[in-house]
Amino acid sequence: MQNAKDSFYIALRNRLAALNSERTILLRGAVRPGILVEDAEAPFSQLPNDIYIVRWLGHGADIDLASTLVAEECEIVYGTCGCQTYGGLDRGRALTQMDAELLAILQPFSAPKWDYCTQPPTALLTKVFWDEPVFSPAVAQRDRLTRSAKIMLYSYQEGGES
Amino acid sequence: MIATCFSAPAAVSRRVRAYFAPVNRAEQRPVLFDPAQQGSFDLDHPPAPWINLGFIQNFARKALSKSSAIAAGVPAAPLEQVRESIGAQVSLQFLAWTKLSMALATASQHMNAIVPGAPAAAVQSGSTATTLVLSANDAAGFAAGQIVAVDLDYCGQTGYIGTPITGAYLRQPLTDVDYVRRITFNTGLVAQVTGSALHLALPLAGGAPVAGAKVQTIAGFTDREGGSFYHEWSGLFVMEGTQSERIFFHYPRLQPMESAEESALPLAAKGQGRLERVVLNAQFLALPVTDPLDNERIVCYRSFLPASNALV
Repeated sequence: MQNAKDSFYIALRNRLAALNSERTILLRGAVRPGILVEDAEAPFSQLPNDIYIVRWLGHGADIDLASTLVAEECEIVYGTCGCQTYGGLDRGRALTQMDAELLAILQPFSAPKWDYCTQPPTALLTKVFWDEPVFSPAVAQRDRLTRSAKIMLYSYQEGGES
Repeated sequence: MIATCFSAPAAVSRRVRAYFAPVNRAEQRPVLFDPAQQGSFDLDHPPAPWINLGFIQNFARKALSKSSAIAAGVPAAPLEQVRESIGAQVSLQFLAWTKLSMALATASQHMNAIVPGAPAAAVQSGSTATTLVLSANDAAGFAAGQIVAVDLDYCGQTGYIGTPITGAYLRQPLTDVDYVRRITFNTGLVAQVTGSALHLALPLAGGAPVAGAKVQTIAGFTDREGGSFYHEWSGLFVMEGTQSERIFFHYPRLQPMESAEESALPLAAKGQGRLERVVLNAQFLALPVTDPLDNERIVCYRSFLPASNALV
């Protein structure tokens, strides 16, 4: 499933960079597209604003198929305080923009699967695919608005894949 | 070791796409789809003359063919099977109201509601399926946002009416000079008017207007309960799997078989609002064609294009 999770993240990252190159984060000394995998970074005392945080939750498998189908539930969390120029009064608009960008980068609902453990990455034979996102209500915490979207990611296990 | 193939489970698909192409009624010539030649077409831009009807829902196929066994011996036991009859039905719901989806969703003639008093302006040579060249005076009478119908004047002909898509069948001549534009499928939204040309938002279903065609403003569309005319179209339904495999259902001849009927689908969950989406219900009867390959009579083809590297 690691290849599927990596491929999903890289697909979203590349789509976000193409859609809105200004949504970035400075992380470990490098400016990167504004999406990260929570369990692949040092723990945050507070989740950063204006970027997407990918969080992996449930896991399942259907082994009664010609190729085992594995599934992983993904939660993408994002929040914003708006921008300083407007004193945060645009935080609702900023969250709406993040909603739209997330919906845009999730489409199409599939991406090629790669093995990123090799150098260079190896193209695999199947695609990862996912269902429509289910958005949660926005939550206001003082001057911060947050929301999350849950997506079920699927992948067929190929020969030799763990 | 890198795998070079995989065992593909049953296709997982999100939605079904529908495409229709007009059957030439006068020549009884349907449009045939060859998956080997055309199967990898861009689903957003189907090859001509297929028209993209977008995503549909509740797509269901029903085979009506019947077989029976020829029994022989004592006691009788099946010796052979014979096909007694062939037939099939297709039902679906269109998620958008357009000229074509509305016409396909009713087993009756479908008409354009011509704006009362709207003049018919002659279409000049050089027009295309998306650009209608008019005289400057005529073009000034149109505006962006209008819906127009483009076809010939009616001149008393009988039989199948409409060029090149048949929209009606007349047994007796009429006196309505606008009749062909009333039933034509060459309709479109004017996106822009520039000088002496109307630019349409989408190409006319029948392609470039024929010589002598005229353009007239319409307000919308009308169908009737009753009548004796049945449209006939070639149908193509495509399911695209998550691994890019494709399943095609091709019906060379489909005729709408149910009267106009709609369904109201709630937008929100039960108890969370009263807004409803009104979708068009459509049901078709499949008619037979003779397969040029071996002269067998058939009503439908099902084709499958596997995913790359999938074991077959």
